[in-house]
Amino acid sequence: MKIPFFFVLVALLFGWNQIPKESMDAPPEYFVLEWQEGTRLFPEPTDFTIEIDSFGGQEVVALVNEKKTPQLYSADIATPVCADGECRLMHIKFYWTLLGEYAGFDSYPMLPLTKHDHDLFEEGDYQKLHRLLRDDKSPLARRTIAQLVEKPKMRTVNGVDAISGATIAQVKEAVVSGALYSCYTAWHLVHGDIQEQLKTHTQETLTHEMTQHMLHSINVDYQLFALDQMELKDYHAHYQQIAHIFKTGTPLVRSVIAKRLTSKFKDTPQLQRPFWEAFEQVDSSSRSLMMNYLNQAPDYVAQVLSQKLGVMSKNQLKDFLHTLASKRVIPAEIHTNLLEFARSEHQTYAYVAQEFLDELP
Amino acid sequence: MPIGTIKRQDMKFSSSLIVFYFVLALSPLMSQEVLIEAEAFDNPGGWTVDPQFEQQMGSPYLLAHGIGKPVKNAKTKVNFESQGEYHIWVRTKNWVPGDWEAPGRFQLQINGKVLGKTLGLRSGWGWEYVDKITIRDAQIDLELVDLTGFDGRCDAIYFSMKNEEPPSSPKKLHAWRKKVKAEPNAPTETKAYDLVVVGGGIAGCAASIAAAEEGLKVALIHDRPVLGGNASEEIRVHTLGIYGNFERILKKLDTEHYPNGSTDAKLDQKKRDDNVKSYQNIDLFLNHRAYEAKAKDNSISYVDARHTATGHRIRFTAPRFVDSTGDGWIGFWAGAEFNYGRESSETYGETWEEHGELWTPSEPDEAVMGSSVLWGSTETDSIQKFPDVPWAMPIAKKYARVAGEWQWEFSSPDHHQIDDAEDIRDHMLRAIYGSFANAKKDPAHAHRKLEWVSSLVGKRESRRLVGDHIFTFNDAKTGRKFPDGVVIEVRDVDIHYQTVLEDEANPDFISEALFYKTPQYYIPYRSLYSKNITNLFMAGRNFSCSHAGLGGPRVMRTTGQMGAAVGFAAALCKKYDVNPREIYSGYLEEYLALIERQKFEKIPESKK
Repeated sequence: MKIPFFFVLVALLFGWNQIPKESMDAPPEYFVLEWQEGTRLFPEPTDFTIEIDSFGGQEVVALVNEKKTPQLYSADIATPVCADGECRLMHIKFYWTLLGEYAGFDSYPMLPLTKHDHDLFEEGDYQKLHRLLRDDKSPLARRTIAQLVEKPKMRTVNGVDAISGATIAQVKEAVVSGALYSCYTAWHLVHGDIQEQLKTHTQETLTHEMTQHMLHSINVDYQLFALDQMELKDYHAHYQQIAHIFKTGTPLVRSVIAKRLTSKFKDTPQLQRPFWEAFEQVDSSSRSLMMNYLNQAPDYVAQVLSQKLGVMSKNQLKDFLHTLASKRVIPAEIHTNLLEFARSEHQTYAYVAQEFLDELP
Repeated sequence: MPIGTIKRQDMKFSSSLIVFYFVLALSPLMSQEVLIEAEAFDNPGGWTVDPQFEQQMGSPYLLAHGIGKPVKNAKTKVNFESQGEYHIWVRTKNWVPGDWEAPGRFQLQINGKVLGKTLGLRSGWGWEYVDKITIRDAQIDLELVDLTGFDGRCDAIYFSMKNEEPPSSPKKLHAWRKKVKAEPNAPTETKAYDLVVVGGGIAGCAASIAAAEEGLKVALIHDRPVLGGNASEEIRVHTLGIYGNFERILKKLDTEHYPNGSTDAKLDQKKRDDNVKSYQNIDLFLNHRAYEAKAKDNSISYVDARHTATGHRIRFTAPRFVDSTGDGWIGFWAGAEFNYGRESSETYGETWEEHGELWTPSEPDEAVMGSSVLWGSTETDSIQKFPDVPWAMPIAKKYARVAGEWQWEFSSPDHHQIDDAEDIRDHMLRAIYGSFANAKKDPAHAHRKLEWVSSLVGKRESRRLVGDHIFTFNDAKTGRKFPDGVVIEVRDVDIHYQTVLEDEANPDFISEALFYKTPQYYIPYRSLYSKNITNLFMAGRNFSCSHAGLGGPRVMRTTGQMGAAVGFAAALCKKYDVNPREIYSGYLEEYLALIERQKFEKIPESKK
């Protein structure tokens, strides 16, 4: 569908598609990363563009700090949104992380977002759009717009997975009511080809400073990326920050750290201590992952864990006892802790410890 | 007194001594013990036979799955050769130990009198002492009285004149059981077939039909009363995927596209059961669970199976076997190579950058996709109360729902999908009861009651047996063509992860799916027989694949295709008296021609 020339003219009149000159000293209105006080970012041109139907490529700029290190990418977008034979322009400024993930957006006070019936977006709608754009696994991803507006057919036996009614309900919950086309367009622009381009570019131009910046970020993708990029010496040098992430991060990040704990710190056993001492702070699944590497852990770990028997699940306790059983002698302190645990009336798995003690020679 | 004369008093004393020592010598023979396996009760009442976890806790058991309402008593008659005082123990467990009243409480009733002891209180499977009673009759009426409707479980009841608790450790318990039941080492009944198929899910049913149509005498062994596995009315997952080369067979077995958990599963259940039973040369052994597969020189000699209620055992012999158990039990027992868990993304290059660690991990681990327990509720005309379930809340927390679909899935590093399957099922039950209890706090749900909660785990992934080809994500992604590509699929590769990985605050029993769009792809025949056990086929989710490779083909029309493919291969194996590998190496053309021809096969004479 051809976009009326009028819209193109409006875009040009508003100075669309020109690189802004002003620095940025406040975060975007809707933002997923942390913004440190005093941060100033400056726009720099890049070779990246986002193709918009009938508008051509719209430039993506890098937002760099005073050291000229990229911190974010952004693009001022004017894109047609067409539904039921009617087209209108949506104006929005998107931001991406260095890994091409969605970082946030700004709207334009003079050109607010509107719904299909021309009602303006309210604050709640903007929040909902932000949540939708954050969801990189949205049901919008693998469907065409046509599939989202057709009534789903249940009870067909064609052998191909039909879209269920439940999925359509999921989509309805996720998008702004009355703005499906805008939401769909926005989501696919944010999560389109630009994502991979930006990530590849970051990988090719990665500096130590950027890796450290990511390691100290609250962003999970940044943390995972940094952990993958770091060499062994970086693990040792920054073990405290890694331990901090381990204690405060998501189970996904913890799982990566837990699996690398005994290998990355094999020759520096004392650096493992803050991780093992955080055993009761982390989630149960992360504890189980740590237990998988118990037989490779330094000797002091058994003593540390013997003080944390009460938080162990049945299987974690069994793993711990199994590792103990492989040692010739159980140190006195550990034995004492086991005995105390086994005799406790309030510990659900005391019986497991008691059975172990009963079978000791 | 003359020599040889014994005083009357001394004689009396000596006689008493003689009698005393005689009785003492005989006392072991007079001491009585009776072991009643709960699953063998004459009338289970509202209790259900649960055989799912026999390999882990030792036996099928009776489960009081009343979803909050106490179930009708299970009843049986017990014969006693000797009357006298008996100690009674029950093997049971408290399935949610903690600072609350145990959810699965029950009592025993003997000859109409309820024994006071509440059972189902001990942590971990083991024996709870009930009481000492006097048995005066040669036969008593024994009943299990459910107190809660929340999944109390009883494995066995043991009466003994000796105050000696039976052993608890699994090995000792197993040996003790055999001794008490005077069970011979081997089954006394042996049956011989051309093909033994173990596991009556869609894959096993398809394998049986395909083989039967080619004239093979087939034994199909299945541990439930109905066929279909995850597609049965007991688990109610709808079948997905395409028919490929096997539309004719799979239409006899598959389901309509109802919502997962729908009662419409019953309609397709009847279709499936009737179709399989219509084959004269399929001997169907429902309610039989395999417990052993013996291999000699890397070839399976027999599979032993036991009726889940009566305990009657049968030895099945055949030149070839199909493992469609899902968990790969036959392969496991026979010593087949298998994998469990996620390979590193580097192992087969199965990376998807966009989703990184959630798709495939940088380091290998034991994570697998989880098990689901489906459930639903219904509106009624009256106020419906639901009991407090404090023991469920640590899992459900504030989550509130009135029904559960495929996303209700549990996988965790702390739980092995086979070894901890009972804990996984119980975790999901806590999630369900707790979430429903939360929903009931909303006045809008005052008239709602639980309609159905499965008691069976619907597994997605566990052991994957290794074949001559390990099917990977890349095979699907590239649509790689194989000379022996007998299974065809178009369905996206679909891998699940637990949402708790992204946020600890998320419930740990809800998953999300990642879909990778693929072209049409093929699974080779070489992924459907064991690499090292020469006469073993596998079909179903335990076929030869990587973790990511399982993502697409694990759905049931695809696994059904695998079953049909091995069934036809088995027919050629019989014709030429060869093993599965040789079909690929020596008879591939004929095999592919057979698959082509069978699309239009006439109804064989053997079909009733």
